[in-house]
Amino acid sequence: MSTASAARIPQTTEPLVALSNVGFRYPGASSDALQGIDLTIERGAFVAVAGTNGSGKSTLCKTLNGLIPNYYVGDLTGDIRVAGLTAAEETVSSLSKKVAYVFQDFENQLVRPTVYEEVIFAPLNFGYPDYKERGERALALLGLSHLRDRWIWQLSGGQKHMTALAAALSLDPDLIIVDEPVAQLDPQRARLVYDKLKLLREQHGKTILVIEHHTEFIADYCDRVILMDKGAIRWIKPVREALSRVEELAELHILPPQVTLAAKRTLEEERQEGESALPYPVTLGEAAEFYRQRDVGSRLNAVDGGSGAQAILRGTAKSGAQEPVVRFDNVTAGYKTIDRTPHRVLKNVSLELREGDRIALVGSNGAGKSTLLKLISGIRRPSEGSVTVCGFRTKDVSPERLADYVSYIYQQPEEMFIEDNIRKDISYFLKARKHPGYAELVDGLMERLRLAGLADRDGRLLSGGQQRRATLAIGLAMRPTVMLLDEPTASLDALSRREVAAMLSGELGSVKTAVIATHDMQLVAEWANRVIVMHNGEVALDTDKRTLFSNSELLRQAGLTPPQITQLGDALNLYPPCLSVDEFVRRVQSALKEEVPAWKPSNKASSTS
Amino acid sequence: MVSAPMRRYELTQSQKLMVFILAMSLYGISNMFSELVPELKLGPIELKVEYFAFIPLTLCILFHPLYAAVGASFGEVIFGELLLGQFGGLGELEKFIEFTLAMYIAGMLVTNPRNRKQLAVASFVAVGIDQMLSAIVDIAKVWAGVEDLEAVPGIPESIVLIEGLSFLNAMAITGILFSLLPTLFLVPRLYGKIEPLLGMKPRDSRVPLSLGQMVTPRLLLVSILFVFVGGAAEFLSEADINFAVWEPEFLEQYGSGFMWVSVGAAALVLAATLYTMFRAKGAAKPKESKL
Amino acid sequence: MEAIKQSLIDKLSVEQIKVELMRTAFGRRSTLLSRFDPRVLLGWYTVLAILPWFLSNKFVLLGLLVPVLVLTFSSKVSPLVLFILGLGLVSEISYILIGSLLFGGSLDAVWPLMTLTLKLLIISLASIAVFNSMDPERFSDALLSLGVPGQFSFGVSYGYRMLPILIEEYHNLFYSFRLRGKAPGNRGLLGWRSLVYLVRTAVCTFYPLMLNTAKRTRTTVEALEVKGFTYALASPEARKLKLAYLRVGAADIAFLGISLLYLIALCVGGHWVSF
Repeated sequence: MSTASAARIPQTTEPLVALSNVGFRYPGASSDALQGIDLTIERGAFVAVAGTNGSGKSTLCKTLNGLIPNYYVGDLTGDIRVAGLTAAEETVSSLSKKVAYVFQDFENQLVRPTVYEEVIFAPLNFGYPDYKERGERALALLGLSHLRDRWIWQLSGGQKHMTALAAALSLDPDLIIVDEPVAQLDPQRARLVYDKLKLLREQHGKTILVIEHHTEFIADYCDRVILMDKGAIRWIKPVREALSRVEELAELHILPPQVTLAAKRTLEEERQEGESALPYPVTLGEAAEFYRQRDVGSRLNAVDGGSGAQAILRGTAKSGAQEPVVRFDNVTAGYKTIDRTPHRVLKNVSLELREGDRIALVGSNGAGKSTLLKLISGIRRPSEGSVTVCGFRTKDVSPERLADYVSYIYQQPEEMFIEDNIRKDISYFLKARKHPGYAELVDGLMERLRLAGLADRDGRLLSGGQQRRATLAIGLAMRPTVMLLDEPTASLDALSRREVAAMLSGELGSVKTAVIATHDMQLVAEWANRVIVMHNGEVALDTDKRTLFSNSELLRQAGLTPPQITQLGDALNLYPPCLSVDEFVRRVQSALKEEVPAWKPSNKASSTS
Repeated sequence: MVSAPMRRYELTQSQKLMVFILAMSLYGISNMFSELVPELKLGPIELKVEYFAFIPLTLCILFHPLYAAVGASFGEVIFGELLLGQFGGLGELEKFIEFTLAMYIAGMLVTNPRNRKQLAVASFVAVGIDQMLSAIVDIAKVWAGVEDLEAVPGIPESIVLIEGLSFLNAMAITGILFSLLPTLFLVPRLYGKIEPLLGMKPRDSRVPLSLGQMVTPRLLLVSILFVFVGGAAEFLSEADINFAVWEPEFLEQYGSGFMWVSVGAAALVLAATLYTMFRAKGAAKPKESKL
Repeated sequence: MEAIKQSLIDKLSVEQIKVELMRTAFGRRSTLLSRFDPRVLLGWYTVLAILPWFLSNKFVLLGLLVPVLVLTFSSKVSPLVLFILGLGLVSEISYILIGSLLFGGSLDAVWPLMTLTLKLLIISLASIAVFNSMDPERFSDALLSLGVPGQFSFGVSYGYRMLPILIEEYHNLFYSFRLRGKAPGNRGLLGWRSLVYLVRTAVCTFYPLMLNTAKRTRTTVEALEVKGFTYALASPEARKLKLAYLRVGAADIAFLGISLLYLIALCVGGHWVSF
C-alpha cells in the first residue's frame, strides 16, 4: 500500500482513496501545510493518522471531503481521487455523500435540537426521499434507537459523539473519518466509539480513517499507521511495526502504549549484544503473553506477596488529623428538572478535606463531581447542609470573597479567558485587588509555567497544552489555599498531558489542598494521595489509589479504566496494583533473576482488545 | 489549520452564513436575558433594559452590516419570542423591520472601527432610529385606532408626551448604558481578533454600496429624522395643536392632505431603504439569490 | 437589598433559568388550534391582526373578541401571560388618559380609548391563541412554504440546539469574572454599587462570549456545509420533502368556513346593532 506505485493499480480494484503529489498552502502562509502527499487507502482498511499538532493531519483529512479547498480556501495541487470521484471536480456536498467526517469538536457539529432530526438532516438536505429510513437505519446501526427522541442537550459526551457519527452514516458513506475521538471523551466511552467503528468496518465494509495519537487505541483497533510530520508523510507502516519505533515516536511527541514501553525496557535488560528485539508487544494481550512467557506473574507474587506488598502499601498511608480546610456537612444539592421535580445531584454528602490532601475526584459523568467542585467555589450553594471553606460558610459569603481562598479551574479553558491576552487574564485577580507589585508576581509565574513568550496572545488562540498552562497560571496567581481543577488533562496530547501532570505534581505555592475531578486514571496514579469515588451523588469510596485500582468491581461501576500498565499488572495477578511503568519494570526486574528466551511475536495475540 | 485565509473583503457564502448565525445566537441569547431582567420602576420613570443594542451593533460594525443586522433580528424573533412562547405576530414584523434598519444604518455609518467618534455616533443612531420608528408606529396605531381623534382633547398631546418620554428613557438607559459604553469598549477590542476566529480578514474599509452614490446612509438617516419630526408634528396639527414652528398657515395651505403626504413619505423612505438593502445584498453576491 | 440581590441571583442560577427556559421552549402540548395546518392558522391570524384596524363598530369588535377569547383559553396559555397582557394594556391606556387630562382633556376620552383597547386586545389575544399553541418548528415550516428563506427555518431549530449551550457558557464566563473579580466593599445606597458591578460584569461577559461563539460558529458552518445545508438552500427537492407533511385538510376548510360565516354574520348584525 505504500505510496506512489500503488496508484497504478487497475480500475477494477481501485483503492478508495488515492492521492498523488498533493500539496496545500493556506493563503498568506509562509510554508506548505501539505507537501508531496502520495497515499492510497484500500477499501475496508482501518487506518490511523498520527503526528504532532500542526503536522497536517486534519488538513490532509479535510482534502478528502472537499472542505479543502472549498471551505478553507488556498492553493491545492496534485490529484485527489476519493471513491471514484475526482475531488477537483466535486463540491463539498457531493464528496460528503462518500466521505463522512466527525470533527474533533463534534459538539458544534450537531446543529439540530433532537437526535432524530440530526440524523435525518443530511439525507433530507440532499433530497433523498427515504430520508426517514436512512436516519432510522443509521441510529439502529449504532444502537442508538432508544435515544431517537432525546434532545441533544440531554445527551452525554459519548452519546453526542455517537450521534454525530450516526448523522454522518445516514448518507451511507464509503469512508468514515473521525478526528481524535479519544481527545474529548473519557477512555471508556472512546472505546465504545472504537468498537462501533470496528463493527462498521467488519460488518458493513466501511473504510475507517482516524486521526489519533493515543497509541493504545491505535494498537487495539487499527491495522496501519500514517505518520505525519511537517505537512509530509514520514512513513506508513503496519501497526505493530509502527508503534515499536519508540524513539522515533517520542521525537514527534507521540507516546507509545505503556505496555510497549515496559516490554522494551524489560527486553533491553535481557537482550544479548547485537540481537534485535523488534517488534515489541503493543496491546495488552500481547504484553500479557510476553510476560507470561517469562513466568513473571508467579515470580512477582512470590516477591511482592509478602513483605514487598507491605512496603509498597505503607507509602500511601493517610495524612494526619488537622483542622479540615474544607468541610461538607450533610450536603444536598440539586435543581428542578423540566417537569418541576427536584433532581438531587448530591445526596447527603459529608466530607473533610485536609491540608496536604491531593485528592482525585473520580466517577462517571453525572456522578456529581462538578457539582462538588462548584459547591466549594461558591458558584453553587447547597440546598441542605453546609459547606465550610477556610472557616467561611459558603452560604454566607459571595463568590468574590471566597475567591481569596479558592481557585477553580474549569474544564473548558476558553471559559476562563475573559481578557484580551493571557497576561491580563493572569493578572486580573491581583489587579482587581490592587495587589502591590503584582506585575513581578505574574512575571515570575509566567516564567515558571513557560508562558512568557505567549504573554500577549489571546488564550483562545493557543494550543491545547498552552491553554492548560495558562489556566493553571490564572489559578495559581490567585494564590489560593484550595485549588480545584476540572479535568485538567482532557483533550491534551501525550506530551502536554505529561507536562501538565508534572506541573501539578510540582510546587503549587500557597495551595494546601488540591482537588482534581478527572477520568484520567494515569493522572490519578501519578499524582493523587487520596481518591474519592463518586457514584450517583454519593461518596462511594474514600481511599488511596492502590486500593482503588485493586477494586475492579467498583472501577467498572464508576466507569473508570485503570492505566494500561495497571491492567497489565492485573492480568499478571500482581498485588498490590502497579501504578507506573517505572514501578512495573522495577518490580519485574527484581523478580526476573534468570535469563529468559527472547519473545517472538505471535499472530494469534494480535488485534485483541 | 489556525492561519486565517487572506481574502478581499468580500464574503463567501459560508462566511455570510457565519456572520448571520453568530449575530443570531448572540443577540438571541442576550434578548432572552433582557426579557428576563425585571424592570425597575422609580415612580413614573421606568428604568428598563430595552435590549442589549451593543451586540448587533458591534457585529454590524465589524462584519457585513446587512447579515449581522438581519441575523440579530432573526435571533430576537427566534430566541426572545418563539422559544419563549411570546411571539406577537405582525407586531414582530414591525419590530423586525425597525430594528434591522436601525442596526444596518448605524453599522454603515462606521467606516473605521477604531474611530471612537464614529462609534459614539453609531451607538446613538442605532438606538435612535429604532426608537423613533417604533414611536411613529405607536402614534400611528393610536391615530388609526381611536375614532374621531380630534373630538377628544388631550389624547394626541398625551401620546406624544408618552412616546417622547419613552424615547428619552430609551436613549438614556439603552443608548448610553447598553449601546454607547459597551460599544466603545468592545469594538476596538474585538476588531482584528474575532475575524480570524471565523476565518475572515478584518474589514479595513467599508464595501461601497451599489446605490451608495444615490442613497447614502446619511441621507436615509436625515430622511427618517425628518419624517419622524414631520409625522409627529402633523399628528399634533391634525388635532389642532401646534408647536411654535408649525404655523397654522402652513396647515391651511396644505390642508389635512399633508398628513397623507408625510405618511406616504415615511413609507417611501422605508421602501427605498429596503430596496437599497436588497440591492446591496444582490451586489455583494451577484450569483446567489439567497442570503 | 442584599436579600433581593441574593434571591435574584438564586433565580438567575443557571440550572433554574435553564429549566425555566427549557420548560417554555421545549414543553409544548397539543391544543385545539395546533391541530390545524400552520399556514391556515397564519392566514387566519393575519386577517384578525389587520381587520380590527378597519372596524369601529364596537358590536362587531366585541363579536370578534368572544371567539378569540375562547380560543385563547383553549390554547392553555399560562395565566401569567394573560395577566401581563392585561396589565400592559390597562397601564398604557391609563398613561394616555392621565396624559390627556394633563393637557386639559376630560374623562370623555375613555370611550374612544376603549375602542383602541378592544382592537389591541383582539389582536394580542389572536396572536397568543395562535402562536402559543403552534410549535415553532411547524411555524417555521409554514413560513418556509410561504417563501421565507430557509435560514429562518434553520434558525428556529438551531435556536433550540444552541439555547442550553449558550446559557451554560454565559453562566460559566460570568462566574469567571466573579471568581477573579472583586465586588465593591461599600455597597452604596440601596446597593447601587453592587448593582453597577453586576450589570458591568454581565455586559463584560459578552466579550469572551462573542469570541467563543465565533469559534463555535465556524465549526457549525463547516458542519452545515458537510451536511448539505447550503446545497439544500438552492435545491427545491429538500424543501418539498421537508414540507410534504403540511396538508390542508377538511378540518382546516371547515375552520376557515365557519370563521368566514361568523364574520359575515357579525357584519350583518353590526348594521342593526351599534353603540
